[in-house]
Amino acid sequence: MIDAYFIHLLILIGIYLILAISLQLSLGYSGLLNLGHIAFFGIGAYAYAILALSGLSSIFCLLIAGVLSAFFGYLLSIPTNKLKGDYLALMSLGFSFVVYAVLLNWDQLTRGPLGLPGIPRPLIFGFDFSSNISFLVLVLIITLASYLFLHRLVKSLFGRALEATRDDELATRSLGKNTFRFKSISLIISAFFAGIAGSLFASYITFIDPSSFTFVNLIPLLLIVIIGGIASLPGTFLATVFIVLLPEFFRFVGLPSEILGPVRQIFYALALILIIYFKPRGFYGKINLE
Amino acid sequence: MIAGAIYALVASGFSLIYSTNKFVHFAHGGVIALSAYFLFWLFSMLEISFFIATLLTVLFSALLGYLLNKFFYKPFRAKKASASILLVASIALLILLESIALLLFGADVKTINLIKTTQGMEIAGAIITPLQIAIVLVSVILFFSLYFFMKKTKIGKAMRAVADNKEVAEIIGISSEKIYSWSFIVGSAIAGVAAILISLEQNITPTIGTNLMIKGFTGAIIGGVGSVPGAILGSFLLGLVENFGIWFLPSGYKDAIAFILLFAFLLFRSQGILGIKYNQK
Repeated sequence: MIDAYFIHLLILIGIYLILAISLQLSLGYSGLLNLGHIAFFGIGAYAYAILALSGLSSIFCLLIAGVLSAFFGYLLSIPTNKLKGDYLALMSLGFSFVVYAVLLNWDQLTRGPLGLPGIPRPLIFGFDFSSNISFLVLVLIITLASYLFLHRLVKSLFGRALEATRDDELATRSLGKNTFRFKSISLIISAFFAGIAGSLFASYITFIDPSSFTFVNLIPLLLIVIIGGIASLPGTFLATVFIVLLPEFFRFVGLPSEILGPVRQIFYALALILIIYFKPRGFYGKINLE
Repeated sequence: MIAGAIYALVASGFSLIYSTNKFVHFAHGGVIALSAYFLFWLFSMLEISFFIATLLTVLFSALLGYLLNKFFYKPFRAKKASASILLVASIALLILLESIALLLFGADVKTINLIKTTQGMEIAGAIITPLQIAIVLVSVILFFSLYFFMKKTKIGKAMRAVADNKEVAEIIGISSEKIYSWSFIVGSAIAGVAAILISLEQNITPTIGTNLMIKGFTGAIIGGVGSVPGAILGSFLLGLVENFGIWFLPSGYKDAIAFILLFAFLLFRSQGILGIKYNQK
């Protein structure tokens, strides 16, 4: 029993970690105040669910979910490329509201508020990942691969260019770099991984509805990124473990379920306010959120 | 038109706070939500007469705005937090306020049954209830008083001075902290009025503030950030486009329409209808 619970938590940590490090790429390394990340997560989850329910092969669904999210990342990057700070934040937030409205209202495709039940677990190259333990293995492999990829990416020349763009866009542009392209690629890759995280989430929970992808769900994600420290992948890892495990204590305190939700939200919101007040750089961060 | 009037109230309060403080006060929506619940609590649970309840609600929202500025934003400003930090902080604050409302009043919808909204008269083919006329009237009166407040009173003038150039305003002896407080008080009081009107027109839910806030800032940006008349104009435009939009799309897409309009404006005219070019940072 405890083992099953432990596996469940590890899977959640894996999924959240992919989501958080991909947000680090756009928010931390590229300095784009991206508040629409939850929308990419949602697009990925729905794309996977709809494709998998129509019986396509899992690996194909997973990739398409990522690519579709990435495509929306590209779409979002077109109007937002020129914007900075507040405006970008509002636009990306707005984008997440649009996605939510579409998920809720496009009944024929998403079944609206009823959600999509019975999403199959992946079956990749004849290997069945339907038990929780094998699913954990899959999540760990994908998480590790994403982590290593993003780690390589931010250390690469491209990563340096991104950070240079974040720190001083004008100077970077005067060195002849196409900063618009950097930012747009960063958003695309970030969205791709969010989509992958979304498909893992959908296939793990096996049921999704639009309420998992609202604006409120953004708070724990921002909390992870800021506690871990802007532009710090190891910090993000520790913060993810911490933030996913922490609310589990509320479960043991034995609060009734109808107040558990608001209490958890209050907790996350308060924690976010306190962290950005006392330690805006987080615990491992090198730079400030600007 | 009705929707536009309420959006315009939200947007003008928001825009007022933005113009002096220069950051996005998202928790404005939280102020609206809590004020609506406060009215519900006074009127439907304590059964205080409606007139007194509305007065208390406006006082409550002004006080809430004042306290938020004093105990929430001021410490952040003292640490020289950037606008992005304040934006994230105010989003967290919005969620915090909404969760408190959810915790206190539960997730089920609340209604204030003051006027029967079903009866209405027909004007030019559209059914209009007396309440809706009242909403538009109250808003228009409020906009005019706000206009005179900003143009004629000392505080209003000082607000515009701080909004224009904080440093110069301080040189001539205007305390910017004091003006920040005032803009929060006035802006939030308007939010209180918006809360009263919306709770008469619709049901009260914990997310009422977020929904209105989306419309409010969309209206404010369309109209030109930091320009209160622009915010009002932008909001009416938004209300109009939304209601035309639902002829073509299901009503659930209202929020999406608002944002598509916002996208379009940010792409082609990022300074808004009446706004001057927004200088970044």
